Amino acid sequence: MDIRAQVSMVFHLDKCIGCHTCSLACKNVWTDRPGAEYMWWNNVETKPGTGFPTLWEDQSHYKGGWKLNGKNLELLSQNKLDAFIKLFYNPNQPGLEDYYEPWTYQYENLFTAPEGDDQPTAIPVSQITGEPVDIVAGPNWDDDLSGSPLYAENDVNLDELTDEEREQLFEIERISMMYLPRICNHCANPSCVASCPSGALYKRGEDGIVLVNQDMCKGWRACVTACPYKKIYYNWKTGKSEKCILCYPKLETGQVPNCFQSCVGRIRYLGVLLYDADRIAACMSVPNHALIESQRSAICDPYDPKIIALARKNGISEEFIDAAQKSPIYKYVMKWKLALPLHIEYRTMPMLFYVPPLLPVMGKMDNGHYANTIDGFFSGLESARLPIKYLANLFSAGNVEIIEYVMKKLIAVRYYRRSLDMGDIDLVQINRMMREGNVSPEEAEEIYRLTALATVDQRFVIPPLQREEAISETCNPELCRGSCGLGVPVNVERGP
Amino acid sequence: MMDTFLFIALPYVAFVICVIGTIIRIKKWPVSYSALSSQFLEPKALMWGSVPWHIGIVVITVGHLLAFCFPGLWQSMMGKAEILLATETIGFAAGVVCLAGLIVLILRRIGSSKVQAVTSTMDLIILGLLLAQVLLGLAVALHYKYGAAWVSGTASPYLFSLFTLQPNLQFIQDLPVAVKAHMVLAYLLILLIPFSRLIHMFAVPLQYVFRPAQNVVWNNPRHSEASEANYQQEEARREFIKGAAGITLGCGVLAIGTVDKVYNFFFGPRLSAKEEEEIMSTRLKRLQMTANQRKLELERQTSNFILVSALSDLKANEGKYFIDFNMNTAMAFAGEDGLPILMSAKCTHLGCTVSNQVDEKGQVLCPCHVSFFDVKTGKPNAGAPAKNPLPMLPWAIMDKRGKVIAERAASGQITGDTALSSIKECNVYITRDLEGKA
Ligand code: SF4
Ligand code: SF4
Ligand code: FES
Repeated sequence: MDIRAQVSMVFHLDKCIGCHTCSLACKNVWTDRPGAEYMWWNNVETKPGTGFPTLWEDQSHYKGGWKLNGKNLELLSQNKLDAFIKLFYNPNQPGLEDYYEPWTYQYENLFTAPEGDDQPTAIPVSQITGEPVDIVAGPNWDDDLSGSPLYAENDVNLDELTDEEREQLFEIERISMMYLPRICNHCANPSCVASCPSGALYKRGEDGIVLVNQDMCKGWRACVTACPYKKIYYNWKTGKSEKCILCYPKLETGQVPNCFQSCVGRIRYLGVLLYDADRIAACMSVPNHALIESQRSAICDPYDPKIIALARKNGISEEFIDAAQKSPIYKYVMKWKLALPLHIEYRTMPMLFYVPPLLPVMGKMDNGHYANTIDGFFSGLESARLPIKYLANLFSAGNVEIIEYVMKKLIAVRYYRRSLDMGDIDLVQINRMMREGNVSPEEAEEIYRLTALATVDQRFVIPPLQREEAISETCNPELCRGSCGLGVPVNVERGP
Repeated sequence: MMDTFLFIALPYVAFVICVIGTIIRIKKWPVSYSALSSQFLEPKALMWGSVPWHIGIVVITVGHLLAFCFPGLWQSMMGKAEILLATETIGFAAGVVCLAGLIVLILRRIGSSKVQAVTSTMDLIILGLLLAQVLLGLAVALHYKYGAAWVSGTASPYLFSLFTLQPNLQFIQDLPVAVKAHMVLAYLLILLIPFSRLIHMFAVPLQYVFRPAQNVVWNNPRHSEASEANYQQEEARREFIKGAAGITLGCGVLAIGTVDKVYNFFFGPRLSAKEEEEIMSTRLKRLQMTANQRKLELERQTSNFILVSALSDLKANEGKYFIDFNMNTAMAFAGEDGLPILMSAKCTHLGCTVSNQVDEKGQVLCPCHVSFFDVKTGKPNAGAPAKNPLPMLPWAIMDKRGKVIAERAASGQITGDTALSSIKECNVYITRDLEGKA
């Protein structure tokens, strides 16, 4: 057993209001510079929808992630030999038109235009060429357009749905949608790292953050293709690839990443998971429907004395072990089994988990009213507004049972709280529901508290990352104090 | 002078700057270089440009390197007509593929405003140089055929002389301008590597083939300390196994060797006296050859007259080969007037040895690229690849007592008593001091 710690995340989708505050908090700090204008390390998608870059989930086109070849995991995008031909031209790399051409407006014109009959206007100009552009697409072009045949119907997660289910989904009265905020998953089995010909991508051993070494990156773009979540972006100006860094300079000084800190809906949780790195490959080599369980089996119990001893042996500090025990992530993922990774079938073992949304599922109309009675509620799951199958395609590699388990538990918790607050539900019924939902009153209470009432300190349990130890050999922490993340900041420039 | 600059100074300067510049850029400013791909901005034309260009240029570069690094092997391979033909064809095809790719890349760089946004002046310079270089290469291949063969007598030894720090321009002096320009451009491109995007050629990620899929970096000294103990244990075991394996292997090899020697000593095949004699005599012959060669060289360094042949032995229709003062082949004929004709046998085109058989038109043939030379004047036929006549060598006729009867100066002027009847018994020599300063 090789116990490693991972700073991982849970997004509670029921609480996301689709405000994009997170995206902007990230953009303003990290990607507001030439070459990175089009990058959205954090973006929020409307589902059903085509996402960003357009149709990123269509791996028959983009070839991201791993495929199972017999018992072995292989990259979908390349093998060790054709990787060399693909240095010259990568047939599956998304191009500018798959994202959008970044633009700004010619604001000076508003002040400098000569006097004339018309009001001066600020026309849009490309941030790449400076020439006027016709805006044909932008990030979140399909925002809130879940009913649109142009976007939502192309969502690849709808592929396996029956015609009837599709019709239900797009019936005008019933149209529903959810928001899906996405950042890099800081995967435990990252295909981006495995694809990098130069070995510039790496996973930090202490906290599991996946980073691109800008010195070593030679712009081969293999990772852009290999990441199935399209969370690596090629900077057209510097000629290097970039990705979400989980705000490590902030984490290293004990602060919360920007997108977490700014989240209006407080949907985001951050904490430590311990997992067994020796089992990664084996865990990700099982059939699709078993993937969720097999990922859980690699995540270790932070209270188990054997695990603690092994963790210590690997140099994991007491503070990390303590954080792992208090981790809200461990609760959502392992204890309550409510949070699921996005598209586990890509087999990268993502370390960002989502609690699937309940609201659209429950919002079933009955005679022009929202169905609110408890009878047959669980059986109503099948005709839910957002088909269970659709959620399963997103969060459990198509395994409907897992989604049903989560939904039942979430519904049970909700009715339990309702019965406490309103007292309008029969106790026998509540008990039956809790049994079917696999949840005890104590647990329901705990879930409710962490979901609805949690304070900052409960949502974000960040251990000291002890970066000062790591750099102690190259730089005296006293002297490096104040510099970015205790490192030496280097300007990434395009050379001659 | 110009040649010294272009073919001795420039290559050294280019090489030194390239090596030092590249090392500095890679070590001190690694963040500044990458493949600088613009596929993101413009993928379509890029595919038709980048792929053919890179594949073509890799094939061609490998070919050039093989010819320069293994001249012996290369030469013997090119001796076979089929291999030579195949090599020429592959090289030429790769060149055409390169050219096509390059043209697409240039048009794309000029044509797309997005690509222009990431284009520097240096990019344009490099593209221009590369275009010129590829065109020159193709022109040489078309016009001076079988470069794969003649390179071993010209550019390869020249480059070798550069590498051994004894630059010798003799090998390339007679090369056509196009070939020389191709070399100069190559030096310029090498010079520009560290200052341009060309440096990405040193980023070829060969290590990718061998590295494990995942790459985990620990910064934490506690992790290394904690795993130090484990590691040391394992390391010790590994070292022990390695050592043991090494010793076993070494002993094994030694043992086999010893057993073999001992066995041969007692039971091995005995050489018969005749076989032994043969071995000795080949050895002797080899020594003799070296000695002769050496003697010839010394002789040519010290004496002013070197015997070619008895005058009466010279024939009009078949030249007699000999070695001149520069250790080059030359040949001697009997002229119509009874006086000897001595001319260089080193073709003025690319230096092959010209045949000594005179045809009915009074010409000798250089077989390499078919140049005919007139025996009387040394002039090549019209339209031959060789443009300059074979130089005539000065000679002297001496009688048995060493008295010069007649001689021909480098200028071609003949002095002395050529009508002497006893001239038939005299010998022909080549002369040094009269040999033109060429
Ligand atoms: S989500 Fe992040 S860690 Fe996972 S493959 Fe993509 S870039 Fe790599
Ligand atoms: S800030 Fe929070 S609530 Fe708003 S879109 Fe982002 S994740 Fe959703
Ligand atoms: S070397 Fe080319 S014709 Fe003689």
